[in-house]
Amino acid sequence: MLQYTIRRLIGMIPIIFLISVVVFTLAKLMPGDALSGKIDPLNSDPEYIEEMREKMGLNDPIPVQYVRWMGGVVQGDFGDSFVHKRPVMELIGDRLPNTIILGLSALLITYLLAFLMGRYSGRFAYSFGDYLVSGFNYLALAIPSFVAALVAIYVFAINLGWVPASGSIGSGVEAGTLEYYLSKAKHTVLPAIVLGAMATAAYTQFLRNDMIESSRKDYVRTARAKGTKESAIYNKHILRNSIIPIVTLLGFDIANLFGGAIITETIFTYPGIGYLFVESVNARDYSVMMAIAMMLTILTLIGNLVADLLYGLVDPRIRLS
Amino acid sequence: MEPSISHQTSPGLVEPAKPQKSQSPWALARRKFLRNKIAIISLVFLLIVCAMSVLAEPLTMPVEETAKINLTQMSKEPSADHYFGTDKSGRDVFARTLHGGKTSLLLAFSITLAVITIGTLVGATAGYFGGWVDNALMRFTDFMMNFPFLLFVIVLKSIFIESSTGTLIFVISVLSWTGTARLVRSKVMAEKENEYIMSAVSIGCSAPKTIFKHLLPNVMSTIIVQATITLAAMIVAETGLSFLGFGVPINIPTWGNMLQEARSPDVLTSKWWIWIPPAAVLTFTILSINFIGEGLKDAFNPKSNR
Repeated sequence: MLQYTIRRLIGMIPIIFLISVVVFTLAKLMPGDALSGKIDPLNSDPEYIEEMREKMGLNDPIPVQYVRWMGGVVQGDFGDSFVHKRPVMELIGDRLPNTIILGLSALLITYLLAFLMGRYSGRFAYSFGDYLVSGFNYLALAIPSFVAALVAIYVFAINLGWVPASGSIGSGVEAGTLEYYLSKAKHTVLPAIVLGAMATAAYTQFLRNDMIESSRKDYVRTARAKGTKESAIYNKHILRNSIIPIVTLLGFDIANLFGGAIITETIFTYPGIGYLFVESVNARDYSVMMAIAMMLTILTLIGNLVADLLYGLVDPRIRLS
Repeated sequence: MEPSISHQTSPGLVEPAKPQKSQSPWALARRKFLRNKIAIISLVFLLIVCAMSVLAEPLTMPVEETAKINLTQMSKEPSADHYFGTDKSGRDVFARTLHGGKTSLLLAFSITLAVITIGTLVGATAGYFGGWVDNALMRFTDFMMNFPFLLFVIVLKSIFIESSTGTLIFVISVLSWTGTARLVRSKVMAEKENEYIMSAVSIGCSAPKTIFKHLLPNVMSTIIVQATITLAAMIVAETGLSFLGFGVPINIPTWGNMLQEARSPDVLTSKWWIWIPPAAVLTFTILSINFIGEGLKDAFNPKSNR
């Protein structure tokens, strides 16, 4: 297992290198350059602009610029943001906790809802409740996340006024106090539910079908024959076997959540990585954009590895080699 | 020698034995699909939406009219003049929803066509030839899969800043064919082990002929189901991107561009008629496509007995 993990990690290095080339090329292809944000806007003297270009290395050949950028990236330095005038890593470090809180709460909601609904539907398959659950699933699959977000804001934030519609923290709240955490939770709950509840359909269906299939297996018949209570059969025997495959989906979720956060965070103007990305693309803040693109792509790679490892972990029949 | 019994008996006496033709898999699937009520209702709904979108101009007004800003008619509630009311610039929401549907659906259908074509070609080539061809193509597919979809569409879109809908089709297609390619490859790999493929090769069928004439018709059911899934996903992708401002140029009405108006709190709070119609049509369209996909999947599955 350890050997396999190490081999996979080493195998990622050339892929990450290729991805960095793609990301850098795309950033260079984008119109305008980093200069506009960095120089004195009042001074439009061509000589001054040329001097600044030279100083910032924007006149160097592209490969030289790439090596310089990559040299920094390897050391964890993605340069400075042109808009925020701060190191990119600092900026991302500010926003990342928000996205992680949002992502984890959404994941928790997804798993909790899917567990409850899947368990119910699996046990009482083809009942009225099962049809209700599958009806919800069809709707959740069909409603695009941004439409769901709009409706949620309209109903819960505006009409009912339960939670705020945007941001991640109330104004004038001091960090570290109880009030601060409550305000944070209040701001996070709506985007988390939208992000989480809309993703349950696949899990619910997975758990339901697996439970139905398991309930026809021999060990269940044995348990029944021995007079085990029906609730014990479902909660102890079947559920334990059916819950395992779901865990493996966790790896793919890591990357998906960050990707999905782009839309959700933008609608809720929730200051996380996704919103930062949209802002930086709009403002042509290339260093931030490249950093986020690199981070999310690497995260996808790691997510795939985690998924593969979990597969091997929960099902010993799969040998990783 | 031909048996000559039929020549001797007069045609009136013996009922001519009807050739017992067994139903083709396609006919079986069609019958199963037609019996699926939800799928048929969805299909009818989707056809109506498509027809109304295509006929948007005769039904309402030309596209140019929908873009005209009308200061006297700003933010009017639904009435007999404007079935769905007007938006903040005084444009008729009903007309824009129909015209928006035309753009959104046309885009989704074109992207789906491109995605399925690329995916099938890559997948079938990799699966049929195997060996180093398979290896090279699949490594490339895996590599493309690493790029988070939404993020890279946004990046690519901002490169082509003066872009039209054509670039959007290109950008989305380039990033989303990988799933189809993998699926088709696995199906082709299983299918090519059959004897009819070996006999086709042994009588001298060229590789393209074997693939297109013998292999692909037998994996077509998978491809069709995948196409419906892709279609739904692409409607979401287009509207989502337009909603964020990275999709279709804002002056062209699409469902996503119309929903973008709801990003202003004023519209979201008190002018529900501006954003509810595109949101509802969008959701029901995707829902109907999903049901059709389910129905097709069921119909093509010989094991299901619905």
